[in-house]
Amino acid sequence: MTATMTITATSNAAADIPQRDDFRGRKVLGLEMQIETPENVILTYQLAGPAQRYIAYMIDLIIRVLLVFGMLVITPMVGIVLPGTAMGVFLVLMFLNTWGYYTISEGFFKGQSIGKHFCGLRVIREEGYPITFWPALLRNLVRSADAIVFYGIGITSMLLTRRFQRLGDLVAGTVVVQERSLTLPRKPVILDKIQPLNKNEIGSFLPRDEVLSLIDEFIGRRHVLTYDRGHALAAILAKSLAERLNYSGDPKKVTHYPMAFLAAVYKTFSFEKEDEEQEAVDAYQRHGSPVEGNRE
Amino acid sequence: MNKHKFIHERRPHWKRFEALLESTSRRSLSKLPAKEISNFSQLLREVSHDLATIRSRGWGQDLNAYLNDLVARGHNVFYSAPPANLAGVYHYLTFEFPRLFRANIGYFLTACLLFFLPMGISWAVVQSNPSLANRVIAEEMMSRFDQMYGKDSPLNTNAEESTEEEQESDETEDIPLGSFGDERASMAGFYINNNVGIALKCFALGILLGIGSVYTLLFNGIYLGAVSGYIVSQGNGERFLSFVVSHGSFELTAIAVAGGAGLMLGNALIHPGQRTRFQSLQVRGLEAVQIAGGAAVMLVIAAFIEAFWSPSDIPSSVKYIVGSGLWLIVIFYLGFAGLQSTPQTRPLSNRGPQG
Repeated sequence: MTATMTITATSNAAADIPQRDDFRGRKVLGLEMQIETPENVILTYQLAGPAQRYIAYMIDLIIRVLLVFGMLVITPMVGIVLPGTAMGVFLVLMFLNTWGYYTISEGFFKGQSIGKHFCGLRVIREEGYPITFWPALLRNLVRSADAIVFYGIGITSMLLTRRFQRLGDLVAGTVVVQERSLTLPRKPVILDKIQPLNKNEIGSFLPRDEVLSLIDEFIGRRHVLTYDRGHALAAILAKSLAERLNYSGDPKKVTHYPMAFLAAVYKTFSFEKEDEEQEAVDAYQRHGSPVEGNRE
Repeated sequence: MNKHKFIHERRPHWKRFEALLESTSRRSLSKLPAKEISNFSQLLREVSHDLATIRSRGWGQDLNAYLNDLVARGHNVFYSAPPANLAGVYHYLTFEFPRLFRANIGYFLTACLLFFLPMGISWAVVQSNPSLANRVIAEEMMSRFDQMYGKDSPLNTNAEESTEEEQESDETEDIPLGSFGDERASMAGFYINNNVGIALKCFALGILLGIGSVYTLLFNGIYLGAVSGYIVSQGNGERFLSFVVSHGSFELTAIAVAGGAGLMLGNALIHPGQRTRFQSLQVRGLEAVQIAGGAAVMLVIAAFIEAFWSPSDIPSSVKYIVGSGLWLIVIFYLGFAGLQSTPQTRPLSNRGPQG
């Protein structure tokens, strides 16, 4: 099994800004769990915390209680014809409700009980594989040990383990993760009206791709911030970038319109690269011979 | 390659992968046409590659998160175990469960020691000195028990209030509810709900370093022994023994099997061996739960025997013969079933796709 698991701090994207390096290479408590897939890609899962799982548990509990009520209504009606059989079936269903509800739902419906489905949670194996019948049975039988003292043992276990596992999870090798809804990244910002920086006003410094992506995402998300707050945040990066770039143009542009400045930086480096690339491709097609280019 | 161009180029593929994921959420991957499956496999690797690319370039958290979730879902679908089917259940019952049981027979023998020895002792003690029975059985329980045990008692049909031991005096024929079979069906339900629940709990509490299982085994052993001794000492041994001999084979053995599985869990924590405690718990836990599952099946069988056969109006001698046969069946099943068959794919099992 090649799966490795570490809990690391999220990488900081703004690489050119003085960084707080104290989280680097150290395991910190976080909600992320990483798994290496057979395709050699590290996948990140968001773990579900005790509070989320409690809500899912309450939803499931309500459903289970409703099931019992439903059976209590139906049993006497069937019982008019066959009182004993109705009682027997009722007791078997009670048994399944107590011991089988989670096992059946998690084992056969891809790790989701109804409550977990509503809360966007899912049970998976620690190695990232979907849960199957036996681990589902195991983690839910051990539930009765976790449930001692109002889930006191389970909650204690969750708080003591890095992946929020109760005893049932530990023994079955499962974790509960959050399932995020897929959101296609927005189209990158099109900066038609923004003029790139004048080449004469900047030095030879090239910002890294991470910084450009950060600017891209920041500008794309600017509408969630107030105007003032957005500018205050942008000013930090704009000032730092202006220094690195040896920007000799209008200083007001940096201090008064930091967002516009960032956009200009973005346009300068992001789009020009592409143009150069396109030129190289065109040249290749014209001359029919390889040319020196930074094709990747 | 530029980020914009990259997104522009790859977006249609991501969308197609999303659509494929959508269709697999409705039916399983194996039911898709062959072409789409190979398409899925290719796209999964492509999107994985895209994810690695944007990670190495640092092309932003949004894109990273999106592709990460896309690959995670694909991973979940692609590496899921084959669905369980009836052949898997059959294979488990005829091969896997007895094999695992024999591989871990030490735990079962320990559980037998914890269950049958106290049972025998309390049986012998109570039978020779019935006044000691109230040390184990509650006074109120005993009086109700005495009353119920009287020949003309109509209380035999009171399923909810009684434990299994109190059903032993099922000789009365004037059952108020429906016919014999109908009445018995409710008892079958009761035995399943009650006995299987006790056994599963006995297994699950083994996670507490085995203490829970030891306690359940000892308690049930002493209690059942005391009840048996008490009934026999009251001069009803013949009816009692002919009643329990049939289902006892499955029931008592299954309790010890479930208790042994619980001890496995506890021992995995106490003696992890070369592994870490959690690893040892996970490896042996998966075996233990498959043993406990077998015990549950045995208890369901026992419930039907106990409900329909044991109380029926059949001469005791026949019950003794059938009962002995059932004991032999249990012994041969656990001892020899699956010895001849070769290991094959195990659809219900789940060591993960990598074996």
